[in-house]
Amino acid sequence: MEMATWVIGGFFVALGGVIVTQLLNGSINTQYLLYGMRRDGTRYFSPERVQLIAVTLWLALNYLLTVLNNPHAQSLPEVNDQTLAVLGGSQLLYLGGKAFSRFGPVVS
Amino acid sequence: MTSVSGSALDLIAVAAGIVVVLLVAAFGGVVIYRMASNDIDLSRLISEPNGDASTSRFQFLIFTFVIAISFFLIVAATHNFPGVPQGVLVLLGISGSSYLVSKGIQFSDDAGVEDRPPMVMITPQTACVGPKTPPIQFKAEVIRQTNQDVTWSLTSSLAKPGSIDPTTGLYTPPPAADGADAPTSGVVNVKATSKADGSLSDNAVLTLIYG
Repeated sequence: MEMATWVIGGFFVALGGVIVTQLLNGSINTQYLLYGMRRDGTRYFSPERVQLIAVTLWLALNYLLTVLNNPHAQSLPEVNDQTLAVLGGSQLLYLGGKAFSRFGPVVS
Repeated sequence: MTSVSGSALDLIAVAAGIVVVLLVAAFGGVVIYRMASNDIDLSRLISEPNGDASTSRFQFLIFTFVIAISFFLIVAATHNFPGVPQGVLVLLGISGSSYLVSKGIQFSDDAGVEDRPPMVMITPQTACVGPKTPPIQFKAEVIRQTNQDVTWSLTSSLAKPGSIDPTTGLYTPPPAADGADAPTSGVVNVKATSKADGSLSDNAVLTLIYG
């Protein structure tokens, strides 16, 4: 069991390391991550994407810290309704912005 | 007799377990190595079909990673599979649904799906050069491609167009001189060509003002 733990743990660490390194050095394309595309093909800086990434990173970090504080729990930590509402709202905002930019009037 | 065969079976079970773990470790090691050496291309891991980075893919990747790591940490600490609360399933559901709806919006329009090939982009695109101009550092970005290396070159009809370092992109203007050695005014093209794909290049234009 110990051996398997080290193997899987090592795999996660190496996988995370490769992905984070490639994200930071540009090997994984992050161009226009925070930009939306309008119907006419032009791009715009997109606040709804910024808030989605901020909320995602905040929730993910919070969740990971909860697990690290109590790794001996019998189940994964529960995600409360308020947190789910924040996530849902954030995703709706993102999707709404994206749909508006694609189907709404072109606003320069 | 029963205890002997029992302990032999235990031994076989442990040996089989070790072999399986080693096989998984070898497989995982090969996958990681090929990712790190770009044999497995991750450049479009979070990209849309048109080449732009995708916010919905990025958040889906983060949530999947965090839940997987959390699951692993609890298994490693307790040696038991943890329960998965409903809230976690809802979280992954929201994240996944958002991703799918986002793709639906994306695919509803040709501009969101049309693939754009890799391209080279030089900065600055133009510059004016005179006798007292210091060396100019050009930079090139190879968009939507892992290998960012380019080769720099100059083309011009001028006798003394200056020089450029083929590796670093540092352009040095021709030194001022008198008489027949004097550089003349004109246009110099600075070209950056991708080392990975020679068909990809971009040009910047230098205007030399001498004399």
